[in-house]
Amino acid sequence: MKIKITAAILLSMLFTVSCTDLNEQLYDQVEDGNFGNTTKEIDALVGGAYSSLRGFSDAISNNFPTCEYVFFLNEVVSDEATIPTRGTNWYDGGQYQEAQKHTWKSDNRMILSAWRYNYTGIAKINAIIYQINKSSLSDKAKTPIFAELKALRAYYYYNLLDLFGNVPIVTNFEDTDLPTNSTRKQVYDFVEKELTDAIPYLNPNVVYSKFTRNVAYSVLARLYLNSEAFIGQPRWQDCINMCQKVTGYSLTPDFFDNFVTENQTSPEIIFAIPYDSKAGTVGNYMNSMSCHYNQKLAISAIPNNYPWSANGMCAQPGVYSAFADTDKRKKCMLEGDQINLATGSVIMMDNGEPLTYTENLTSLEDAKENEGVRLHKYEMKAGEQWERDHDFVLIRYAEILMMQAECYVRLGSPDLARPFVQQVASRAGEEVPATIDLAFIDQELLKEFTFEGRRRTDNIRFGTFFQPWWSKGTTEKYRAIFPIPSTVLTTNKNLKQNPGYPN
Amino acid sequence: MNSKNTKSVLHQMWTAKAAVLMIFMLFLSVSTFAQTKKQISGTVYDNTGTVLPGASIIEVGTKNGTTTDFDGKFSLQVAVGGAIEVSFIGSTTQKIQITGNTSNLEVRLQNDGYTLAEVQVVSVGYGKVKKSDLTGAISTVGADDLVKGTIGSTEQVLQGKVAGLNIIRPSGDPAAGSTIRLRGGTSLTASNSPLIVVDGIAGVDINVVQPSDIKSIDVLKDASATAIYGSRGANGVIMITTKSGTKGVSVVYNGQTGVGYVNDNLDLLSANQWRGYVRQNQIADAVDYGANTNWQKAIEQTAISQSHTLSINSGKADSGFRTSLSYLNNEGVIKKSGLERLSGNVSAYQFLGDNKEVKFDMGLFANIDKWHPIDYRIFERAYNLNPTIPVYDANGNFSLVTGNIYDNPVEILTNRTFDNERHRLLGYFKTDVKFLNDFTATANISLEHNAVKGGTYKPSYAVMEGQTEGGFAQRTYAEYTNAQGELYVNYSKVIDKHNISALAGYSYLENIYEGFGAQRGGFVTDAFSYNNLGAGYNYRLSDVYSYKGKSNLVSFYARANYGYDGKYLLTATVRRDGSSRFGENNKWGTFPSASAAWRISNEEFMESSKGWLDNLKLRVGYGVTGNQDGIGEYKSLSILGVGNDSYYDPVTKTWSLAYSPKQNPNPDLKWESTEQVNIGFDFGLFNRITGSFEWYSKTTKDLLYTYEVPQPPYLVGTMLANVGEMSNKGVELTLNADIIRGDKFNWNANLTLGHNVQKIEKLSNPTYKTDVIYSGSLHGLAGMSGQYSQIIAEGYPVGTFWGFKNAGLDANGKIQYYNAAGQVVDESALVDADKTDLGNIQPDLTLGIGMNFTYGNFDLGFSGYGMFGQKALNATNMMLNDPNRLPAFNVPDSFLSSGITSAPKYSDYWIEDASFFRLQTLTFGYTLPLKYKKSKFRMYVMGENLFVITGYKGVDPEIGLNAQDGVDQTGLAAPGIDKYNNYPRPTTISVGLNFTLNN
Repeated sequence: MKIKITAAILLSMLFTVSCTDLNEQLYDQVEDGNFGNTTKEIDALVGGAYSSLRGFSDAISNNFPTCEYVFFLNEVVSDEATIPTRGTNWYDGGQYQEAQKHTWKSDNRMILSAWRYNYTGIAKINAIIYQINKSSLSDKAKTPIFAELKALRAYYYYNLLDLFGNVPIVTNFEDTDLPTNSTRKQVYDFVEKELTDAIPYLNPNVVYSKFTRNVAYSVLARLYLNSEAFIGQPRWQDCINMCQKVTGYSLTPDFFDNFVTENQTSPEIIFAIPYDSKAGTVGNYMNSMSCHYNQKLAISAIPNNYPWSANGMCAQPGVYSAFADTDKRKKCMLEGDQINLATGSVIMMDNGEPLTYTENLTSLEDAKENEGVRLHKYEMKAGEQWERDHDFVLIRYAEILMMQAECYVRLGSPDLARPFVQQVASRAGEEVPATIDLAFIDQELLKEFTFEGRRRTDNIRFGTFFQPWWSKGTTEKYRAIFPIPSTVLTTNKNLKQNPGYPN
Repeated sequence: MNSKNTKSVLHQMWTAKAAVLMIFMLFLSVSTFAQTKKQISGTVYDNTGTVLPGASIIEVGTKNGTTTDFDGKFSLQVAVGGAIEVSFIGSTTQKIQITGNTSNLEVRLQNDGYTLAEVQVVSVGYGKVKKSDLTGAISTVGADDLVKGTIGSTEQVLQGKVAGLNIIRPSGDPAAGSTIRLRGGTSLTASNSPLIVVDGIAGVDINVVQPSDIKSIDVLKDASATAIYGSRGANGVIMITTKSGTKGVSVVYNGQTGVGYVNDNLDLLSANQWRGYVRQNQIADAVDYGANTNWQKAIEQTAISQSHTLSINSGKADSGFRTSLSYLNNEGVIKKSGLERLSGNVSAYQFLGDNKEVKFDMGLFANIDKWHPIDYRIFERAYNLNPTIPVYDANGNFSLVTGNIYDNPVEILTNRTFDNERHRLLGYFKTDVKFLNDFTATANISLEHNAVKGGTYKPSYAVMEGQTEGGFAQRTYAEYTNAQGELYVNYSKVIDKHNISALAGYSYLENIYEGFGAQRGGFVTDAFSYNNLGAGYNYRLSDVYSYKGKSNLVSFYARANYGYDGKYLLTATVRRDGSSRFGENNKWGTFPSASAAWRISNEEFMESSKGWLDNLKLRVGYGVTGNQDGIGEYKSLSILGVGNDSYYDPVTKTWSLAYSPKQNPNPDLKWESTEQVNIGFDFGLFNRITGSFEWYSKTTKDLLYTYEVPQPPYLVGTMLANVGEMSNKGVELTLNADIIRGDKFNWNANLTLGHNVQKIEKLSNPTYKTDVIYSGSLHGLAGMSGQYSQIIAEGYPVGTFWGFKNAGLDANGKIQYYNAAGQVVDESALVDADKTDLGNIQPDLTLGIGMNFTYGNFDLGFSGYGMFGQKALNATNMMLNDPNRLPAFNVPDSFLSSGITSAPKYSDYWIEDASFFRLQTLTFGYTLPLKYKKSKFRMYVMGENLFVITGYKGVDPEIGLNAQDGVDQTGLAAPGIDKYNNYPRPTTISVGLNFTLNN
């Protein structure tokens, strides 16, 4: 009897104790099937598409459009900036040197970073579209949301068209087949169509930092401006037409108002990536990548009231002197003696020499600590943290003006260009010369948009990209687009390398 | 319920039924006797009064018999008027007549001279086995053999004690843990730490138990032994048995106090050497700040440590308890660092029933750790700073010289507050019920709780973050709870020469982890430290967080043992684990094993060798085990979460939080699976030497790694997947010898040797393709962002240095290199194809050695360990030998004579042989003869880490397997790099006393 009872207890315990449910219970995250059913949830999803514009960093690469390495890539391969090796620092496997020399290879991490930045943004948007598509929202309500998301996605594809050319087009989140290349023309057509289709449903008003109709017009204008470079078909008039649709913006009287910490109030900014370190935004630390380690002494008299700087990127020789001394925009660079605010005398470097920024550099491979003038476009002020608060300007009205000016010059009507370029130059305190030619436009673009991450495209469009410049010889034409990153090719055998590059 | 759920439930039911069926079959196999029989019970002791588990009791002239359990108890039905024979290996057999009055027997067996390790009892998981009956590779270390000393992490007690078990402390920080690797490890990303089992509770924090509470440790090494732990057994199992209620009453006090100091710093220029250099080279700009500072000494201190343990033990025939309390305070040799711990342990047992059929066991372990983490950035700064800079300026303030990585390290140590506290708690309640003579059912319910809280304050005057944040305060809290229920039935029966035992069981584990934290900057006053976060006015979105997660593990397991005549032994185990962490397509895994042993020395044909060969046993085992640590929770799902994904709403001009997809879902995610074959010999010679030799070969499949996946189409660029394959093969030798056994003088020695060869067999499959994974990151070193020093590639072991081969210095002091064609070339001529295998971090040989001498009342002992043949990258040296450093940054003495003019570049010029032998402890003691009931009073002097024999040029050759800031990361991804992370290991001299009072 006793035995039977024991056995019965044992048996019953075996089954009653057996909580054998192996489904995972989530507490601080949510499974994708359980989200996207309220307006608030939809907003939070769409918001994610915008936050992806700030990029990210992971174990593979830093992918920030404002800094390491997307911004670095665009700047170093152009004629306006460089990252020289200083002693031991900033060698980093030679990735900046090969970018400066235009000898980059497909394993360059900056190139991988640019690829991943854009495709992660695209994949997120595809996932969000998939998520919203599953929701209980009506089709009518979905249409404008999808238009906005697809337009934003087209912006990423525009970047890819510009950087890599023949990239795969992926629009369906559920399709996990390994894709093949599209031609550059197909990508071009895709960008044009997606933006054109979206425009009727986009917000027609001036709405800061959102993908409005004005933003779509601006990106289309850029597409047409570079149409000849991208696909060999000039579309200058289309560019002008698109620019003329952009409404509601004006130049700020003070050029630098576009780059102050609270720049979101500038009436000139058409599209920007908002940052606020208090809201947890990361990646906006370019101001710490350029100045000398001891620059903080020139920013605040209180010790350590400004974060560390890494003494990296500087202007390429020739850029600083391209500006007239009267050009107000010249202040976007730091040159000469840097003064210690606490002592009033010149800051001393570790090696006992004064911190005096010079335009010229000994060499790309072995520059001195103080060589090269520094980026100083966005405001730097005491009390800042590593993560800065200024929004990163992607498109501003001055560009709309300059695009029209350039197109009129290219169409053989430089007089029509004058009113546009006049606005931009006079704000800077500069005169417009009697003859407006492409060389002038090129120089004006350099001075107006220094260190705004878009110079590479101008260099290619003007053809200067292929000419020798500081620490660079002649560049072969195929380098107008970057190679597809080597790790991407390894993991997706369906992809072909861009022409000219070894597979 | 969807179809997949149905399937998994059915599966579980099937498994449960199988377990039950097995129990029933065991029931049936017991035939019932129906004659004038009588139930007798008793306890068997050896001649010292210690209970003898596994002694056999046979009714004379029948096949009826049993063995004693682990409390030395037995019960048996025997015919009145008959007799039983009680026998135990190494003891004289006793015959006892059974009369009508016989009920509770106390049998004391006399030792016949053979008392070697074979009589030990070994924990094998859900039961114990006599060492002589083992079929798997299991090493046992008794309390007396554990490493003693100034110990804050319990795993240290095993350092050098078990062949094949490497225990590496990446740091001399008393609060730092150790890394344990058994037989080379099995995983690239998951933890390679063995499963810790304390008194039968699996998966607990080893530090919940204090060394003084440990009775013995059994290390289950091969898969046939660990497969009973299924998906958690791949890295071996460390079974800790704590002391509890041994017979008699005793009070024990152990106390120790010591002084620790740093024996070896880097030889950097002194202030005067620096001045000499500046004068000689006429460097006009060099700034002499006038002081003579040794920055390494400036951050160090003499470390005082002390520990006290008091325990009370009381054991009677049917009940007993043990309780202990200990306190330790170990200062670190770097200022501010240290560990303070208070811990307590209570355990008790109680028998119930006429024949003691029921036994209750309970135990409670609890401790509190307090420590102050240090900022590991001090080391690089201590090497950088000009030795003429004073620590304090003329006004008594910390001197601050602005520069790159140039902050005063003493200021960093002094001006910040880091207070951490950890609470550990483990409690269990275990019930054993004997029924039907041969069955024991066990229910074991346990709870482990582990919580860490932290407080950080960086005041507004502290350099770096303190000043830029205007004061920065942070509080953190993290905890986890493991609740476990185990239910298992053991059957054991001796029929004639057949010894049968079986086990079937079920277990359920629920792990819940959660935490929260908050931080703020911008304090008007520094008065609050971290105690008033609300007073900070700088508020960021990421300043508060909380999280929670949960996982379940459901298991069914069974084991069968069969022994014939103590000569032929067979064991088979199987475990079926279901884990919530696994992907939907792989929820359940099965882990089988089988092993056999042959005690050759018990064969009749070995009779002639009895004089010298005490024991010879051959063991062969095979098994499959898993490792599920690398998966983590929710990794297989498609989930949305909030991260740093805020977005700006231009209408309201406010920031809101976005929800974004977080990972590529992988429904196929599962455990890493390790197959292992082990062949071993155990031997005993001349009644003096025992030892064992093991050969093993293991292959780990489905290696987890965060693979790079193509974007597009994948959402994110990486994905956790089971792809690769790795093998480890090796041999191990363990030897124990009583070299001299005399009346007054005794000399005992032990030696462990291990050799392991590791190879990555595969890294790709049709879906995930990887030629090579770059590891051993040099990120954070000047000019080396994104650079790697090692590769993980097919055909090579983990930790293979891959780079350029140097050809020495040329006449100008520039490091020259060999290209792929073998020509000597300059740095500028190198191409990627010139990179080659530069050696790896895997040791060829690991060694542990210990000896004990006693002469009368004096005792002397030492223990040491070493690793030989492994390479290390001395990145610290690489960076310090930079010709750009002087005069602002300090350099090693050797730099001035080296003539190096090349800027730092990774090559084998900086890779060194890191072989070493370390003398862990040297102890000299004297025991005062006390007359009162075997009471003991012993005093001793102990030296720890008195010397290290090595050719390595850095601070210490024992480099963490994957150390970052002194904390070993999981996985094997970046081992063996000395990168400003070497917290020096102290040399410690202590005095101590043990006082044991028996009653």
